[in-house]
Amino acid sequence: MLDTVFAIERADESHVFPAEIGTDELREECLARASIYRLLAGVFVEEPSREFLAALRDEALLGQLAEAGVRFAPDFLATELDELAETLACEYATLFASSGGFPPIESVRLTGRFKQDPNFKVTQIYQAAGFALGKGRFEVFADQLGVELLFVAELLERCAAALGTDQPADYRRLEKDIKRFWTQHLGLWVRGYSRLIGRASNHSFFREMAKFLGGFAEEEIAAMGLKRLEDLDMGRVVVPKSEIQVEFNPDEPVCCGCPPSSDKPIGGTGNVHKLHDLRF
Amino acid sequence: MEMPKVTRRTFLKVSAGTGAAAAAAPRLLTAMENDLGGKDFGPVSGAERKAIPVNCHVCNIQDGAIAYVENDRVVKLEGNPEHVSTRGRLCAKGNSGMWYSYDPDRILYPLKRVGARGEGKWKRITWDEALAELTEKLDAALKEDPNTIMLKYGRNRTGGSIDRFMKTLGSATVVNHTSVCESSKKVGMEPTWGPDIETPDFANAKYVLNFGSNVLEASYFHNPLSQRVTEGRVDNQMKIVTFDVRLSNTAGFSDEWIPVFPATDGAVALAIGHVILREDLQDSDFINNWTNVTVAELKAHYKQYTPEWASKISGVPVDTIERIAREFATTKPATLFTYRGPAKHLYGSYNEKACMMLPIMTGNVEKKGGYCLPRGMGWPQPMPEPGKPTKDSYLSHPPDYPLAAHKVSHLVPFWIAEGKQKINVYFTYQDNPVYTNPGSMAVWGKLFKDEKLIPYLVSMSPFMGEETALADLILPDCPYLERWEPESMPNSLWPWLGIRQPVHKSLGESRENRVLLRDIIHKLDPDGKRGMKQFWDFKDGEDYMRHHFDNVPGLKEAGGLDFLKKHGVWPIYGKLDPKTGKVSDKTGREIKADYGLYLKELSATDMAGATVDGKGIISKNGKAIGVRRDGKNCVGFPTGNRLINVRVDQWAEYGFNPMPTFKRIPWHEAMKDDDLILSTFKLNVHKQSRTAAVKWLAEIAHSNPAWMNPETAAKLGVKTGDLVRVESAVGHLVTKAYVTEGIHPKVVSIPTGFGHWEYGRLATLKLKDKKGEYSHGADDPDLNNVWWDDKGVHPNNIIPVVADPIGGSQGWYDTVVKVTKAGPNDKYGDSEGNWEKHVAAYKETMRYAYTGDLHRKMHPEMAAWAGPDSVKHKAGGGH
Repeated sequence: MLDTVFAIERADESHVFPAEIGTDELREECLARASIYRLLAGVFVEEPSREFLAALRDEALLGQLAEAGVRFAPDFLATELDELAETLACEYATLFASSGGFPPIESVRLTGRFKQDPNFKVTQIYQAAGFALGKGRFEVFADQLGVELLFVAELLERCAAALGTDQPADYRRLEKDIKRFWTQHLGLWVRGYSRLIGRASNHSFFREMAKFLGGFAEEEIAAMGLKRLEDLDMGRVVVPKSEIQVEFNPDEPVCCGCPPSSDKPIGGTGNVHKLHDLRF
Repeated sequence: MEMPKVTRRTFLKVSAGTGAAAAAAPRLLTAMENDLGGKDFGPVSGAERKAIPVNCHVCNIQDGAIAYVENDRVVKLEGNPEHVSTRGRLCAKGNSGMWYSYDPDRILYPLKRVGARGEGKWKRITWDEALAELTEKLDAALKEDPNTIMLKYGRNRTGGSIDRFMKTLGSATVVNHTSVCESSKKVGMEPTWGPDIETPDFANAKYVLNFGSNVLEASYFHNPLSQRVTEGRVDNQMKIVTFDVRLSNTAGFSDEWIPVFPATDGAVALAIGHVILREDLQDSDFINNWTNVTVAELKAHYKQYTPEWASKISGVPVDTIERIAREFATTKPATLFTYRGPAKHLYGSYNEKACMMLPIMTGNVEKKGGYCLPRGMGWPQPMPEPGKPTKDSYLSHPPDYPLAAHKVSHLVPFWIAEGKQKINVYFTYQDNPVYTNPGSMAVWGKLFKDEKLIPYLVSMSPFMGEETALADLILPDCPYLERWEPESMPNSLWPWLGIRQPVHKSLGESRENRVLLRDIIHKLDPDGKRGMKQFWDFKDGEDYMRHHFDNVPGLKEAGGLDFLKKHGVWPIYGKLDPKTGKVSDKTGREIKADYGLYLKELSATDMAGATVDGKGIISKNGKAIGVRRDGKNCVGFPTGNRLINVRVDQWAEYGFNPMPTFKRIPWHEAMKDDDLILSTFKLNVHKQSRTAAVKWLAEIAHSNPAWMNPETAAKLGVKTGDLVRVESAVGHLVTKAYVTEGIHPKVVSIPTGFGHWEYGRLATLKLKDKKGEYSHGADDPDLNNVWWDDKGVHPNNIIPVVADPIGGSQGWYDTVVKVTKAGPNDKYGDSEGNWEKHVAAYKETMRYAYTGDLHRKMHPEMAAWAGPDSVKHKAGGGH
């Protein structure tokens, strides 16, 4: 989807990058990728600012995005900029920053709660790489989607610097760091999550950018040759009830009180116990 | 030497037979993760986890807890073994407390409403923006009248900062939640013996009368008292008799469960008292020496309350009443405990008073194994303190309820709607009346949706509860594991001071309440010229705690706040013995409580300049300070005259019976054969409104079928699981039936804490309901593991307001309903209340106030009372 616009070649999955690619080209590619990461981070890290939106509505960029399959509706294209920023701020709060929404946070997506293992692990990774998380307009978690994307952008810019200063060993190390980060973090959740936001958003901006994120993620994973990287985000995977091991009867109509309806089997596994003698 | 040939297969075969030998081999290594007593270790890493003592605040028992933290993340909660009351144990709720911190529906940033109230559309704004908008509203309100700024709180454990905030603003409009909690219990007790609660010494009692408390599961003070109930039962062969409409687990644990007709506990208690006095089983010395009535007066007064009279009203057989009376009076020591059962009725204060008379007349007060005064500790407030507001507030001190010392919060919406007091800015803190109050959405939802009545609603909350969802501005408060708070609860016979302290950094941009309030004041008065800032001169929550704790005598010497930060509680009375589960002193013996507090002698300094009247009342500077008995100058009880006031003269001023009495609820007398009374109750893993989103608890219990007796169910043709329609005078609901012998045949009972329509994804199961909707879009990692589809049905919409004219309590268990099999148009979860009908109920209950037309009719014995105009109101002010 993104090949044309962002010049990311579909890689042979058995290779990291095509061997024939030159250093300058590789450097350009790193910078191009970094700019996409930054663009996407700008969408998700906090409410998009008026300036960000104005830049996004640049005709040339819109054209490139359209070629990549990102097609905004009039709610994004034909709305006055201040009003658009306001509308998107509300949509952002609904989707990402208020109760009942879908916080773009790895801990929430993978463990169902804020500030769990992924948060601490990415913090350690940032620190090891020499980064500290600052505050934007709002304080965000280290495993917030925008922050994770910004981290990769930073590493890609370092890659470009390494290539520009003829330090291939550093480039390779950084490249591995990026792959590791994708394997351990982004790759585990952004694809499913992007599909979820694509479905949930009311506004074409977030809907389309979520699709863009999903496509970009698929592309990056393929380009980096990351195999068998399973998306663990439950936004994609629905666990069938039959696979859930529970102590009680999952088809029970009234917890603790009522027998199951006759047309449904009780449970399905040997470890399911009726609550008959445990009610209240 | 030839070595045996061991392949993987052969050694696995060998291992199959090694069980006994392996078990018998010495074990020199023990997993430290299994250690008890204030330590915890990662099961994989083996590394010791950081242990931070706190006071639990999932409910309000205030158990001592320890949070184990790894990497700034709470991984486990358990009891604090140094806490004298709870002795290292936490209940299921307490073990689940960390889910509040990490709830994915938690509000982490200030949110401003952008759609219609309740529409669910928000914009995240910065704290600067939020405070600027809020202080603009406050400024305008202050110019008009400070009392137009209202703050209503639910579970307020700030230790004084809420009051400080409102006093700083000069507003007296502070309303609590106590009238839906247990205010008539408090008001039944306070004028009689001083404190608002008792401490039954269950561990040493031989006999317990339990009126309407479910102490093994839910009531005050569940965890510490249930430990003592169990000890009393196991160590002391204590007998327990429980009067309750429902077979709670406490009733089930009792020797006898006596299902009593709702609201008639007081009549049973009076009849027990009648038998005790008739058969001369009372403790005459105690009555004559320590109460304001004589035995003769008491006998004369109780003569009217015969077992036959009580039996007819309550359904408890005469011989049962007589037997229990004899058992209670002759088994020493004996104690009594009550909770909402007697108190949450139209005349709940009378019921409570009638119950507490039993340990009083048998002399079980302040005895080992008896009915003891609560033990608590206080702490000083940071100085300087703001003064009391100059003008009183109607809503805080409604003139129709002058004896309701804990306010009448559940009538507030009607008073606001009637224009009794104008509100410009409404703050809510840890409250959720839209869910928890009678009338629920039909009443409070109606109030909050009316922007003329409530022009600006500010919620200080970490969660999107039913009330917060209607706010204009949400300021993200911190859950309890991120707050500094002082604590003391009289939940055992040993007084203690404790703290809550942040166990990890607060998430997002949430701010603990006292800091948030400080920031509002600082924004209002940045340079201190308005005289407000001086009262909020502290750096952070810890600094505020130093003002509380660094100069408490005894604690100061132990290290003040630093001691509490390390131990969570002070004093440390001894060491928890893992074999007995009790606290032992240095000799290994269980620590002993002090009894007979009222017998403590006054010092010579206390007596200097004191006078003693003919009745032995010791006074100094115009105030009673003690009672002289048998030549000893005793401190007495913490009442105005240092005696137990069996006769409460203040009640008589307002035309209420000053002596122990009982009033039957008029509409209960008029019930038809097929009418039932609706009661509610709590399950052991939930509290009223704030646990449905706690995942461990929600998985254990998440729905609430209506309990019905088989006799009732048979008449209706209903069996367990069938849909029933429950209809009251103000609305109806449709739920499922649970048919059980464990409920009085005239009662239908529905547990509370379920059926949320807000409060997050687990409480509402909204993501399941509304797949595809914009704000609740699709799959969610947690909900995919939710195996239940039923969130329950909340009953409060159909419960009308009833106010005890004395104590102000809501009559939760007074609602008459008709239960029928659900009709073709009824569907599970229907719940509808009608505002106009609720208003009619409000008007009806006001008729019972001392100013109402039914007051005199209900009190023919007070015919000599000169009427409401004879009462002069005291000038009010402040909180």
